[in-house]
Amino acid sequence: MNELRFDQLSLGMRADFDAVISATMVDQFAALSGDLSPLHMDKDFAVAAGHKDRVVHGLLSASLFSTLVGVHLPGKHALLHEIKAGFHNPVYPGETLKVGGEITYLNDAYKQAEIKASILGSDGKKLVSAILKVGLAV
Amino acid sequence: MGVRDRLQGIFRDVFDDDSIVLFDAMTANDIADWDSLTHISLVVASEKEFKTRFILKEVKALKNVGEFIAMIRQKTGLDE
Repeated sequence: MNELRFDQLSLGMRADFDAVISATMVDQFAALSGDLSPLHMDKDFAVAAGHKDRVVHGLLSASLFSTLVGVHLPGKHALLHEIKAGFHNPVYPGETLKVGGEITYLNDAYKQAEIKASILGSDGKKLVSAILKVGLAV
Repeated sequence: MGVRDRLQGIFRDVFDDDSIVLFDAMTANDIADWDSLTHISLVVASEKEFKTRFILKEVKALKNVGEFIAMIRQKTGLDE
């Protein structure tokens, strides 16, 4: 886990990591959130709706942004203030995701960093994008 | 558009409320949703809108919106 302080951050700084959301994780998120929509739970239903598999819950995909700020950029001292996300294409269980973010603004007065983040498929296709606002304790 | 109108636009955007009309004596007590997080959003949006930077000491010293407008004018040289 990174432990970057606000004064160690700079515009353009970025972090990237790979992640896989498994079918089990989709089941666990469904149980946790109560979102049991067949689009997430029933492969036949999802395929009939035009998908190649069950669709990962958008907020489960977006939870990787929590990992991005809480573990990678800036890491330990982060507190997520705001997230504005767009879900451009479906995420499917088992695919390798490229999660990344870059610092686009730094507010000195309140030690808040703005991060432009995305989740891409292994083919580079944009699946989720987000603007994250992250406060730092130090 | 003057500083007051531009700042008013920021307030309306941050609080998602087009009925907000700024007045000099306005404080956080006048807007129900004005909390620590929206306060940071106001400061950051103002920095971007007026292409300036604020330091914590000067922001904390502000007593009301009128003083915020005066500070923006002083820092940017805008006189409207």
